Amino acid sequence: MSAPVIDPATAPAPKSGPAAESLVSRVVRALLTQRIVLLAVLIVVVVTVFFVMDANDYLTAPYDTDYMASSLINAVPLAMLGLAELLVILSGRGGIDLSVGAIVSLAGMIFGFAYGQWDWPLWAAIIATAVFGGLCGALNGFLVAYIGFPALIATLATYYAFKSLAIVINSQRPISTKPIQDLFSITRTVELPVVGSNLPDVPLGIFTFLIPTAIVVWVLLARTSYGRRLYAIGTNDTASKWAGIPVRDTRFKAYVYAGVISGLVAVVTVAQFASARPDAGVSGSGMALPAITIAVLGGVAITGGIGRVAGVILATLLIVWLNAGILLAFVGNEGSQYQLLALGTVLIFAALLNGITNRRYGGSR
Amino acid sequence: MSTTLGQRPGAGSPAPEPRKALGQSRIRVLPSAISGQEFVLLGVIAVLWVILAFATPAFFTAGSIQPLLVAMAPIALVGVGMTIIIITGGIDVSVGAAIMVCSVVTAKLLVDQGLVLPLAVLVSVLVGGALGLINGLLIAYGRVHAIIITFGTANIFLFLGLQIFGSSTVNNIPQTFDVFGRGVAGRTFGIPHAFLITVIIAAIAWWYLRHTAGGRHFYAIGGDAHAARLAGVRVQRRILLAYLITGLLVGLASCFVIAQGTSTLDQSVGTGKELAVIAAVVIGGTSIMGGRGSVLGTLLGALLVQTVTSGVTQLGWNSQLSDLFVGIFIIVAVGADLIRERARRAK
Repeated sequence: MSAPVIDPATAPAPKSGPAAESLVSRVVRALLTQRIVLLAVLIVVVVTVFFVMDANDYLTAPYDTDYMASSLINAVPLAMLGLAELLVILSGRGGIDLSVGAIVSLAGMIFGFAYGQWDWPLWAAIIATAVFGGLCGALNGFLVAYIGFPALIATLATYYAFKSLAIVINSQRPISTKPIQDLFSITRTVELPVVGSNLPDVPLGIFTFLIPTAIVVWVLLARTSYGRRLYAIGTNDTASKWAGIPVRDTRFKAYVYAGVISGLVAVVTVAQFASARPDAGVSGSGMALPAITIAVLGGVAITGGIGRVAGVILATLLIVWLNAGILLAFVGNEGSQYQLLALGTVLIFAALLNGITNRRYGGSR
Repeated sequence: MSTTLGQRPGAGSPAPEPRKALGQSRIRVLPSAISGQEFVLLGVIAVLWVILAFATPAFFTAGSIQPLLVAMAPIALVGVGMTIIIITGGIDVSVGAAIMVCSVVTAKLLVDQGLVLPLAVLVSVLVGGALGLINGLLIAYGRVHAIIITFGTANIFLFLGLQIFGSSTVNNIPQTFDVFGRGVAGRTFGIPHAFLITVIIAAIAWWYLRHTAGGRHFYAIGGDAHAARLAGVRVQRRILLAYLITGLLVGLASCFVIAQGTSTLDQSVGTGKELAVIAAVVIGGTSIMGGRGSVLGTLLGALLVQTVTSGVTQLGWNSQLSDLFVGIFIIVAVGADLIRERARRAK
């Protein structure tokens, strides 16, 4: 229908056909073609449903703005890894990073050593961890961009390698010395300055890690030439090459940045657990699967070249608030099981919707 | 085709070459029965076995080789199905969760109803088939990339499995499945049944993929789905079939998994199996882009992964190190394949 939109962040909204188009069909079109609109509506629906359920005493604890704000702590690792996947998937040619969870485990152990055992200052330990994460990402990027491995295979291999190293490096023991345990204070909630007295307290991690990362990634994608190049190679590898874009270098950097973000998530995770656990990022179904789910839900096309920071953030909010409500609606670990169901259903629903949108309107943004 | 060429004699002339080939020898449609990747794998496995034999004298005894073959069976069996899926250009990351659902359903029925062996296997295979059918329907007719759908169904299958577990383990599983197990009951003439069944199924799949039109269609879809459709392949039905076959094999593999475990089944069953299966398939030389691969390679890949896992344990190293070697072998195996592919293209 229309030419592929290389520049989803700043391109003008598509002109909606003849002016006679009815309001209903315009709303449907907006919902289907603009993922952000759909996610915003879904968030409103989810929150309303839980507020109503709360008002009628269906929940085991009150679902109010305080609860919603405190549950945001779960959004920090999820959204950051979602942004990491955004960068990698955008780079196209089957870009995906299965190893982010394993990098979180391994970088978390490095942080544990640096801050918990070698007594480095906090800032130095955090920088070292981020750099280390970047190195892990560089290995992925080297294999994918320069050697030509399919991303799925390269990151599957490094997933195994990093996961194994994280467990072996300290003989399967977690590091939970005094300084590490004190880090738990990072996860405390704070009152916002000036307007805070009227608003619920928000977890500190949102301000120290999530918002800076989101802003940096947004600036990178929407306001730098690197971002333009990344969208370009994700949309068409060959055309970008002939346009003089350093394709390999651009793709390589996407994996490095994803690694750096994973390193920062490692710090957050260590603080949350008050311990550097060797299996932090890979226990259960791991961190990579939810992160990829968030990215896809946020409207990132798995084929590359399409995706926005705002979509990832909204998708995270939707899942976090949905999960928080489900936890209150069921007793015991029933709740955590229904969270799996909700995540899977929402993902498939979003994916099928993408398919419909592609056929009816020629692509979503 | 010839008429088009006749109308435009000036436009490039690919004509003489095929005529020459036709005149001198039959055009080779099938790749050779055993590919370069498989020779490399055989060599690597042989080297590993020799090293292990020198390092731990106990390695080359029946008591060491038999458990190795039993342990590789479920991965190799699911790998056969995964090979077909990956040949079509898809992927299935939900097999780990599907193994969990099949094994918990079967184990519960074994405990509660005391099912006889054939019935228990049938139930497991049917449950697996149903899960595979769900994947197949969503992927073939929803026209969404397989990795996204199977990430979603993996979560839903996990939910199903955990609900059936009902927050406790399944205890006192009867020994119905011992014919697939590590014990004496699981062997005939020293060959473990689980391994034998896997080899037979792999052989059937090998023949089907190589020598029947239906099997070649999977390769056609992986090579170019659009071209395959124009050539008359029922693409969606073929894709559905690939996931259905994998589901059925997951059901059978779940019986092996129960047989290898203790009399207690816990919630961790199947965890991480999807990645182990994909690792075995890609080490076996099946291209993740689709259109190329073989079941024989997958068997060798599973054998290599299991050799590494057993070897690390037998050398007395930290068993967690085996994952590191699996990672390295994926890089080496796929890297070797990439280099050969590049050489092939350069020719």
